[in-house]
Amino acid sequence: MYIFDSTLEDSAINDKLTRFHDLLGSPETPESDHWGRRQLAYQIGPRENGYYVVSRFAADPAVLPEYERALRLDDSVMRYLITLHEHEVGAPAMSDEELAAQAARRDDDDDDED
Amino acid sequence: MRRPQKSCPFCEGRVRWVDYKDDRTLGRFITDQGKILPSRLSGTCARHQRQLSTAIKRARYLAIIPYLKGHTA
Repeated sequence: MYIFDSTLEDSAINDKLTRFHDLLGSPETPESDHWGRRQLAYQIGPRENGYYVVSRFAADPAVLPEYERALRLDDSVMRYLITLHEHEVGAPAMSDEELAAQAARRDDDDDDED
Repeated sequence: MRRPQKSCPFCEGRVRWVDYKDDRTLGRFITDQGKILPSRLSGTCARHQRQLSTAIKRARYLAIIPYLKGHTA
């Protein structure tokens, strides 16, 4: 996820995104979800608004330091966060068996306490 | 005295991973001050409480939810 300076034009933000994603060197174009301009929960420096973009990409870990360096050097990127996508929504919901297994584990734990 | 078992809201909703981008859900698990609600009050299971605390910390860093509510600089 990136937070860009909200005073930037949309086209400038798209250009920057393309430039950053080129650094990743992945064959597929990353899918980006533009949340657009929204108010920050607290001020970051003098700024009260930011332009949020969520991108999902696959990349070789070796290229990440160079990619992060570019993000840090760019003054228009206020914040960024790289996370593993498998630890996110989009993963399938828990099945009945998994729920039952979890409940069973909890019961076992309770028994131990007694 | 053991406290009565509350059911975990995330397990009930069959949530596998707590999403740091979902400010509405996270908002239910922070106090008026912006602190993380303890699992003894929310009933969250240990697994989801761990995910929740990570998600809240990520959301705070990204200015999706405040570190401190009602504070003006």
